Amino acid sequence: MPVFLRRCLIFIVLFTPFAYLLAQVVALQMGDYEILGPEPGKAIVWFTGEWAFNILLLTLAVGPARQWLSWKWPLAHRRMLGLFVMFYATLHLLSYMAFLLAWQWGDIGSELVERPYLTLGFIAWLLLIPLSITSTKGWQRRLKRKWKSMHKLIYLIAILCVVHYLLQIRSNWFEPTLYAFITLVLLSQRFSWGKFKGFFVRSA
Amino acid sequence: MLIKPAADIPSSEITSHSSYLNRRKFMQQGSLAIAALGLSSGASSLETRKGPDLRYGPDWLRQQVAGAQETSFGKGETLTPYRDVTSYNNFYEFGTGKDEPARNAGSLITDPWSVTIEGECEKQGTFNMEDILKSMPLEERIYRLRCVEAWSMVIPWIGFPLAELIKRFKPLSTAKYVEFTTLEAPKQMIGQRSRFSTIDWPYVEALRIDEAMNPLTLMAVGLYGEILPKQNGAPLRLVVPWKYGFKSIKSIVKIRFTEKPPINTWQAIAPREYGFYANVNPDVSHPRWSQAKERRLPSGLFSVNRIPTQMFNGYGDQVAHLYKGMDLRKSF
Repeated sequence: MPVFLRRCLIFIVLFTPFAYLLAQVVALQMGDYEILGPEPGKAIVWFTGEWAFNILLLTLAVGPARQWLSWKWPLAHRRMLGLFVMFYATLHLLSYMAFLLAWQWGDIGSELVERPYLTLGFIAWLLLIPLSITSTKGWQRRLKRKWKSMHKLIYLIAILCVVHYLLQIRSNWFEPTLYAFITLVLLSQRFSWGKFKGFFVRSA
Repeated sequence: MLIKPAADIPSSEITSHSSYLNRRKFMQQGSLAIAALGLSSGASSLETRKGPDLRYGPDWLRQQVAGAQETSFGKGETLTPYRDVTSYNNFYEFGTGKDEPARNAGSLITDPWSVTIEGECEKQGTFNMEDILKSMPLEERIYRLRCVEAWSMVIPWIGFPLAELIKRFKPLSTAKYVEFTTLEAPKQMIGQRSRFSTIDWPYVEALRIDEAMNPLTLMAVGLYGEILPKQNGAPLRLVVPWKYGFKSIKSIVKIRFTEKPPINTWQAIAPREYGFYANVNPDVSHPRWSQAKERRLPSGLFSVNRIPTQMFNGYGDQVAHLYKGMDLRKSF
């Protein structure tokens, strides 16, 4: 399949959750009151957060797919995957501020500072900004080798997201633990035991 | 005849406060036959597209609920629509999603039902619903319900003061606390079959005896003029309006009088986050979120109904004296 066609297909697939959400919001505003329940804001915050995380996992899976499955083709689409993570994460943050805190800035500030799970989620979003800006070919050329080490920030972002989710467990720990497990499996490909040992041997 | 599907009715027209009260007035004024007619037409106006069937309990209970006396509690409050009250529930026995109880609670068998009375009282034993409700005058009270998750509703409950029930069992002077237990029946309650829950079933809640005897504390058997839907804790649930919603335990099968303070379920799971008292208090944050404000449901997307939370959920006049001299930051 030509790269361009694949690119279009992946774009459509990743855009579909947003289109679905948009359709629900439109239906809600037109009076289909039951579609998102009595707390539609919360439903939207959860939906966008879950999709940001899902696509983050896809982004992290590009490396392991190459190593474990010998799939080379996803590499060409990793930039788009990463930008979609930013897209859904931004929607997640905006909908939290707009639909749950009604743009009450004092509350937004104090919640982001006082609630560890919110602080971590917010830091993760902040870290996505430089990665999104420098995702272009031009920045890749300009930053040369630094680009690669800078974009390893995504590992830290993933861990922040895992903790952001784990800290919200009330009684059902299945989904947060599943996301944590998948994240760790995908990250394990980067931090193989050999590399880990090598790091300490070198620094010793 | 043109029959419009329920979804075509604008949200504002489905059981507004005034139409609900008019319906009640109509029911009370009419003869028995007209009342029955009013009830059935009223029932259909409460039905929603996703909503469950309204035929929940035995006829004798339906009649008793329909005959509940109006009271002045909560007059003037804007009611949360019936469909929200019955489709957005925390009842982890039927799943942790808010919409799951409404979908899964159909398997709960609420008739016959009995409640076991144990502990520090003279009249112990097991009593069926007919015994408990026999010559128990029911009344309607509109209460604010504040969930610990920072959302709230306004609900017209049908029930009786818990004190009236407790008096019947003649608690001893050693009865300092009242402990309540929810049904444990994994075959009926899908959430109790989950292997991914930290809850040690059955769900347990408790009050100090003076809290239990406070005139505000209600035992509910109905809401919106109907028998309690199963997802709302049928057939018998507690309503303690000045405490966070998780204190208002559902589908009660056991009441036990104790001398020592019982450990309630959420306290056992996360003692740093949920105390024994769980009084609504805007100044004491949950460790993971602020309790200063609440989203009064239904809340629109672009018109978020976010209001300040009141101390004791606004019932301080009736209950503040219970906690005189206590440090409510420590006893949260």
